[in-house]
Amino acid sequence: MKRTCVFIAGVVLALASSSQPLVGHHGGAAYDQTKSVTFEGTVTEMQFANPHVLVYWDVKDGEAAGQKWSGWLTAPNKLSRAGWNRKTLNPGDKIVVTGTPHKDGSHVLQIRKLVGPDGNALPLSEN
Amino acid sequence: MRAFTTLTIAVVASSALAAQQAQPAGRGQGAAPAVASAPAPTRDITGVWMMRNPPGSNRAWTNFTFTDPKLDPPVLTAWGQARFKEAKDSNGGNYRLDETNDPVLTKCYPPGVPRVYFHPYPFEVVHTPKVTLLIYEYDHTMRRVFTDGRKLVPDELDPLWMGHSVGRWDGNDFVVETVGFNEKTWLDRLGHAHSEQLKVTERFRRVDRDHLELDITMEDPMALAKPWKTTFYYELRPQWELGEISCSGDYLDWSAVEARQPK
Repeated sequence: MKRTCVFIAGVVLALASSSQPLVGHHGGAAYDQTKSVTFEGTVTEMQFANPHVLVYWDVKDGEAAGQKWSGWLTAPNKLSRAGWNRKTLNPGDKIVVTGTPHKDGSHVLQIRKLVGPDGNALPLSEN
Repeated sequence: MRAFTTLTIAVVASSALAAQQAQPAGRGQGAAPAVASAPAPTRDITGVWMMRNPPGSNRAWTNFTFTDPKLDPPVLTAWGQARFKEAKDSNGGNYRLDETNDPVLTKCYPPGVPRVYFHPYPFEVVHTPKVTLLIYEYDHTMRRVFTDGRKLVPDELDPLWMGHSVGRWDGNDFVVETVGFNEKTWLDRLGHAHSEQLKVTERFRRVDRDHLELDITMEDPMALAKPWKTTFYYELRPQWELGEISCSGDYLDWSAVEARQPK
């Protein structure tokens, strides 16, 4: 427990010192912007649709093994300009997802980083 | 402790990494670069333009309002203040999507002018002999800016979501004046209101081939005690094409983003 507190404090400090805005397109009020969580999982579905691309996965192992989670990215147009298409992620793909968790504990993330099956982080913006 | 193998509270090692992971919407990621390009062509702002943050600024408020809400807020009339108090914004992070009364996020209303510039998508300019088209990727929004010399008489105009626009060249700047709005839209993403008396003046200033600055002045005797002014910054994106974003059907179904998920 002690270690957990240290970890969370580290996250809070790191995020507070960032100069980048942390509020998402449709507002981050439902998400705990002071926290960041990471999962390893297997993609079950990707919806390449407006207004936000949605990724669904099953958690690989550990205490959360088998849990179903989802996360949202930016708009498909922006990801297309970053090189994505609707086949970039497919069921069965192994991914590592880092994101901002929902305040109420729902299994949904505002995705901040997504490492694809080849081990490389996928671009999450066209800029 | 075993929980850390599956649900790791990640230590973000540095602010640089945090910045890399963040996905700010609004005016792009990072400040407008200072690197100049080739000179601007004469009287031509054709192309696809993408927003950037103001030079030297990554401040979050640029995603949802025009000036610093604490240091330089708009000067509102009593009517403007009363309407602003009714606003429950989501883009500014103050209300959840199931709480907000944002007309774009709850009803798919067209964004209006100049709020349309907060949508984090590019816009395209097409000049024709008598009209310049401003085409915004968000929701196929298009404005026709007439350059045929016509005069607009606000009292005679049917109020529109995006108003009625006329444009002219002032030297190498393209100046657009827009009136004839309905009052159903917000000026910004925080919920500052306007009336049908709103007049918006946009000055598109192409500082060189790749960089465009847009001065915006809002005047509205009902809502604003003083004109509200700002400048937005854009970069040319020669390789980009506008895609399709339609705010219709299940676009407003936020359940996958915000509704309670099974645990």
